[in-house]
Amino acid sequence: MIIIASLRGRHFVSKILSVASLLLLLPGSVAAQWPSEPVRLADGRIRLGGEVSATFGATDDEAFFNYTDYERNALRTFRAVLSAQWRPAERIAFLGELRTDDLDRLGAYAAFVRVRPWANLPLDVQAGRIPPVFGAFGRQAYLADQILIGYPLAYQYLTSIRADAVPASADDLLRMRARGWLSSFPVGAPHDAPGLPLISAFRWDTGVQVRWAPQAFEAAVSVTTGTLSNPRLRDDNGGKQLSGRIAGRPLTGLVVGASGARGAWISDDVPGGPQSPAQTALGADIEYSRDHWLVRSELVWSRWDIPFTTVPPEGATIGALARWIEGRYRLTPRIYLAARADRLTFSRISGAISNGVAVPWEAPVTRFEFGGGYSLQRNLVLRAVAQVNRRDGGRVKNRTFFSTQVAWWF
Amino acid sequence: MSLVPGLTGFLLCLTVFLLCLFCGTYAGLPSAAANGAIRGRVEFRRAPADNEPRPNVADLGMHTGHGPTDRRRSVVYLDPAPRAAFDTRDEPRPRMDQRNETFIPHVLAVVAGTTVDFPNNDRTYHNVFSLSKPRTFDLGRYAAGRSKSVRFDTPGIVRVFCEIHSHMSAYILVFSHRYFAVTDDEGRYRIDNVPPGSYTVVAWNEAMELESRRVTVPDNGDVDLNFLLSRR
Repeated sequence: MIIIASLRGRHFVSKILSVASLLLLLPGSVAAQWPSEPVRLADGRIRLGGEVSATFGATDDEAFFNYTDYERNALRTFRAVLSAQWRPAERIAFLGELRTDDLDRLGAYAAFVRVRPWANLPLDVQAGRIPPVFGAFGRQAYLADQILIGYPLAYQYLTSIRADAVPASADDLLRMRARGWLSSFPVGAPHDAPGLPLISAFRWDTGVQVRWAPQAFEAAVSVTTGTLSNPRLRDDNGGKQLSGRIAGRPLTGLVVGASGARGAWISDDVPGGPQSPAQTALGADIEYSRDHWLVRSELVWSRWDIPFTTVPPEGATIGALARWIEGRYRLTPRIYLAARADRLTFSRISGAISNGVAVPWEAPVTRFEFGGGYSLQRNLVLRAVAQVNRRDGGRVKNRTFFSTQVAWWF
Repeated sequence: MSLVPGLTGFLLCLTVFLLCLFCGTYAGLPSAAANGAIRGRVEFRRAPADNEPRPNVADLGMHTGHGPTDRRRSVVYLDPAPRAAFDTRDEPRPRMDQRNETFIPHVLAVVAGTTVDFPNNDRTYHNVFSLSKPRTFDLGRYAAGRSKSVRFDTPGIVRVFCEIHSHMSAYILVFSHRYFAVTDDEGRYRIDNVPPGSYTVVAWNEAMELESRRVTVPDNGDVDLNFLLSRR
């Protein structure tokens, strides 16, 4: 906490260098005592795990390709995570996770209770700030599971739409193309603010979830206060999101899943419009691994109801489609290569500024990321990636980034 | 005809000579009957804790798939070993099984040059690997019913993991000699066929401080040697 306080407010590079210096100054004997496995307390009833990652890369103050809804650059972040589980009885556990990005503030990413009501039935109930049931990547966002540094566009890229401000017309929306990092609309909150991704991988929603998982099959359903784009701790519109996922393992090493979600996404602070405009999303995911190969792919389609004052000819809904595929090949026990191809496209809408021609309401983005990792230890990995971005609109259309990361977990 | 008794006598003399030569040669070495054993128990001031998965907050429910890890297994060995230790013997090929998201056995001790089988007898994929200096390997992901093997040529401690299941771990101790034993369920061990002499005996457990003792093995006798290990 002293370190956090002393570093607060400094420049990012200074922070990272300060933390790196502190780590280097630690005597070897102390470093040798760093845990490589979860810390057990109270005879194993309490378990602690943690992750620390320092990601180094160039600034992106013009194109904002990698900005997240926490206003961080995903390719240039210091992150520390502490997760804990207290299991007072065999079938009940309390779980929580504290997370800080760039040592600016400490937030509770997760806090929930997990209960298995019947010993012989593989059914679990979770309540609180819970992990997402939709899709697959949202639950893989841990250092041990990641193979690259950047996030898939569906889970990170900020579109221009906001939950606290909405466009009155198609033109209002089209004016904000490629401005998701800081958009503004005439109805609702008057200030500029970041837009929403299709699915947020940086915040979890609050609610109740039930999972049934007999062997080789899993079904989960949840009711939460926020939506995929805008997970929330407190409800801001009285509407609930219902989301679910089914997944199966037809072959060893193959996981196939399908997801769906629908929930009210616009804040009650936004005046007018239809009652409870909804975000509706469908997803499909697949993972296959064999020998030294791992391949994952995901498809996410999302639609938002917009309370336009002047409804465009295409209707009062806008949509987006994201699809990505990533793969990893382990060359040696320590070295792997990985790559991801990613594409995010949007439905068309017509307005006066497009001369009545239907154009995508947001600028489509294509991203290709490739790189590799080197394992110094099982739980200490160096990663390096190159990320090529192309956007069909906006002030900056193309940008390539290089990023390196040191990741350690226990 | 007169040659026959002479030939018989020659063969008889040759047989007696060879027998004397054989007995005389081996009389100079420590015979198997003269060797002793070191035996005893390895106990702990506080039992080592089981291997638990990380608190995986992202799971949608309880993780119930893995079996208990037997971290009570210790290895007792001579350091250094007597010269006769480097004799070679044919022994069955050891295996480290994968069942219920657990490596069985959790601790394996082998002589350098041994090939260990890693069969997958679980319902799911595993990816056995090690980044340890004596032997770095990655077997990739393979399904139930299949097996892969690794040869261990360099003495040392090899930590074995599964890339998919972070709570799965095991140890393979590779020795340059044969004077070692893995403790049983009750912590007992026995190192047989130790030539008479003074030795340093070491007890190793993954969670405990290494402990070593000096011991003298008499002619044709057993030595009792118990260890009480403290946690690191």
